[in-house]
Amino acid sequence: MQLDLGTPLGVTAALLPEILLSIAALLVLLVVSWRHQTAADSRLAGWLSLLGVLASGIGLGAMWIMGVEPDGLAQMVALDPFRYAAAAVALIAAAGTILISIAYMERERLLAPEYYPLILLATAGMMFLAGAEDLIVLFLGLEVMSVAVYVLAGYNRANPFSAEAALKYFLIGAFASGFLLYGIALVYGATGTTNLSLIGAQLSGKLPPLMASLGLGLLLIGFGFKVAAVPFHMWAPDVYDGSPTPVTGFMATGVKAAAFAALVRVLLEAFPSAVPVWQPVIAAMAIASMVLGNLVALAQRSLKRMLAYSSIAHAGYLLVAVWPGSRVGAGAVLLYLLAYGLTTLASFGFVAVLGRGGERDLTADDLAGLGATRPLLALGLGVCMLSLLGFPGTFGFIGKWYIISATVAEGQFILPVVLVVTSVVSAGYYLPVIMAMYMKPAPPVSPYDGLRLSPASAGAIAVSVALILLLGVWPGGLLDLAGQSAATLTQTGPPLAGP
Amino acid sequence: MVLLTTALMPLSVLASYRSITVRERGFYSLMLTLLTGLVGVFLALDLFVFYIFFEVMLIPMYFIIGIWGGTNRLYAAIKFFIYTMAGSLLMLVAIVVMVWKVQSVTGYLSFSYDFLLQNAGVLGRTAPWLFAAFALAFAIKVPIFPFHTWLPDAHVEAPTAGSVLLAGVMLKIGTYGFLRFAVPFFPQVALSPPVTRLMVALAVIGIIYGALVALVQPDIKKLVAYSSVSHLGFVMLGIWGGTTQSVQGALMLMISHGLSTGALFLLIGMLYERRHTRMIADYGGIAKVVPVFSLILTVVALSSIGLPGLNGFIGEFLVLLGSFTAFPLATIIATTGVIFAAAYLLWALQRLIFNRLDDAENQHLTDLTARELAVMLPLLVGIVWMGLYPAPVLRRIAPATERYLEATKARTQLPESARLGVAPASPGVEP
Repeated sequence: MQLDLGTPLGVTAALLPEILLSIAALLVLLVVSWRHQTAADSRLAGWLSLLGVLASGIGLGAMWIMGVEPDGLAQMVALDPFRYAAAAVALIAAAGTILISIAYMERERLLAPEYYPLILLATAGMMFLAGAEDLIVLFLGLEVMSVAVYVLAGYNRANPFSAEAALKYFLIGAFASGFLLYGIALVYGATGTTNLSLIGAQLSGKLPPLMASLGLGLLLIGFGFKVAAVPFHMWAPDVYDGSPTPVTGFMATGVKAAAFAALVRVLLEAFPSAVPVWQPVIAAMAIASMVLGNLVALAQRSLKRMLAYSSIAHAGYLLVAVWPGSRVGAGAVLLYLLAYGLTTLASFGFVAVLGRGGERDLTADDLAGLGATRPLLALGLGVCMLSLLGFPGTFGFIGKWYIISATVAEGQFILPVVLVVTSVVSAGYYLPVIMAMYMKPAPPVSPYDGLRLSPASAGAIAVSVALILLLGVWPGGLLDLAGQSAATLTQTGPPLAGP
Repeated sequence: MVLLTTALMPLSVLASYRSITVRERGFYSLMLTLLTGLVGVFLALDLFVFYIFFEVMLIPMYFIIGIWGGTNRLYAAIKFFIYTMAGSLLMLVAIVVMVWKVQSVTGYLSFSYDFLLQNAGVLGRTAPWLFAAFALAFAIKVPIFPFHTWLPDAHVEAPTAGSVLLAGVMLKIGTYGFLRFAVPFFPQVALSPPVTRLMVALAVIGIIYGALVALVQPDIKKLVAYSSVSHLGFVMLGIWGGTTQSVQGALMLMISHGLSTGALFLLIGMLYERRHTRMIADYGGIAKVVPVFSLILTVVALSSIGLPGLNGFIGEFLVLLGSFTAFPLATIIATTGVIFAAAYLLWALQRLIFNRLDDAENQHLTDLTARELAVMLPLLVGIVWMGLYPAPVLRRIAPATERYLEATKARTQLPESARLGVAPASPGVEP
């Protein structure tokens, strides 16, 4: 099916999932303006928001299945499976976060149901960001997403760390937006357009002029901040640590997924000719992120902070997949985003469940003997740790395998070697969690004896863990899907002039 | 090797009948998972599948050491895991690079062992690096001298069944990997003079060093663990000896080391169950109290030393005979390792079961039960049979040896079973 993006109707239809999600956000906002007092109201808002995510997902699925394509050049928004796939990851992250939040918000006495519309708005921003075919739309999506997430980071008003997280995230985020905007301005100055494909056409066949290269550099810095890649990672540990745990999970999966999708699209569609300019930068950031993230994570005691540093390391792995600038690489980014997203969501879900009001202090030692007292919880968390480690049989391994293949296919061996060596380092902090659960004796009175999981969070975590295992053993269909989604990425632009 | 694995497994399970008292269900299911991994590694003819099984067997072993191990088990478990994983992940990159290189020349994307083997010639300049990655993975597994430090920890802390499988089968995966993958894929690198000299030197260092360290161990289990380092040195020497006899001897030694070291660990486990100490100094003179146990221990120890008439002798003799033509000096030094082996094992034997019976606690030890005898007897039969009449075993490993030598010598010649243009059977990048 073809859509003419020149007409208002066409653009409206092209934005169907985003519009559905925004409508849902406004509706939930309307409902909670009358009902925002009790725990029951908060639950209601949560379930309504989930319905909104579902509606948006249905819209997205319909567009994906019908194979909607732009009639002529894609203006403003992209209409390709890459966008749908990235948006699907964002929606999955939102759904998981909402399910985990419902019980968490009640336990932490955060009974302000405006939380859920904010998640929906942030998700809509992510979908704009991932689907932007124009630098202006990209910036819009980024801001919609970021402003909502700034508020979410500081949602626990009673907790000074949460306030610190929000302030830090806001200041650094505003700074990053500035870089991004200035980069957009320079690129516009150099090429006279903000459309990604047209920029690509303008720059094709030659090295970009200095102004465009400067603009590209500033864009990379802006994205570097958003995905928390070294050396732009300073904010991440404190912000991840201080935010309410479900929000941390949301930031680590959704925000990262959307930013990576946009980064891949910008690099592949607008700057395929500038490969010599951005490849060394990406490689340096990837290596620095992998080395620093993994080494510093080793030294962490708090589980939440460890996961924060490990997410920096995973940003490094993802940058390795961005490096080849190929369709296989883009497919690897998508696949790894899903693998990492599912695993991280489940891991933060476990931290939220096990935290008991102080997940900042939850250490591996607190989990001692969990394998004996709560075998299912321990099994799930163990699977998550192995998947983050990239162990065969889990989805994380498939993702890493795909990244290594994509990089090697470009004749690059240093990045994959750094990737696997730092993965070995990461065993040094993922394994102690498993060891504590299974190999240390349980304390006489386990703090988790009376723990009851709410059906919502238990369901979300169980589904994630099941998917990690299922897709780890049987990834065939998904591999094809990721490959196909990525293959369409550059069809609208000029052919890739990479190595 | 599959036969050895499946033969040792029921025996270890039978042996852990009494020693594993907590979380039995988990233990036995992990043992079965481990069996899957081990058999899979030996059966895999696809590099992707090989890698998967190579890693899959890590997890059950990690848990077996970590949950049912001794006092220092957490340290041993994580050390074991990280050492092995460091090697295997680099091997993974090497596999991907190799597959990609072969694909870019032949146009076929395949992880099939035979297909890659027959096209290994195209690797050219990258071959040394790829060999280094494979060799590191297997060298850690064997373990060759500088990478052996995980072994004593893992062996000592693991429960009996874990030690038996570690020594009996998992160490062989390293040497098997050299024979099956590292050397045939990259013969021009693996058999080049500098690499050969290095490997032979490391093997000899392993033999002598393992033996010397074993000599001074106060802990009987650690002693056997270091004796494994020494014995695996012989296997490595045999592989790099490069003659028919030495390779055959290496294979033979792999099997007989599996039998006799497995048996030694089982016996130590039985002793430990009775007295709850592994210190040699705590025993002495127990031959009078437990004659059957002592007899079996003596026979097994002698087989491990390499006494003619028992299985250890055949392999060691063939290795030394075969390597002597290629590396006389190294072989002479290695031969002293046999003497050291006699020294440390006989000395330990003397302190354990002979000497004076002066500790009162040892006077009430019970002899082997029927179940324990049932565990030991098949191993004893194997030890004696392979020592007296090794021909059936040698006949079976002869074709494998021939094929291995042919493949490495002729470099690009196809092995008989080569299949052409096998379609990729595993997930991977699209062409």
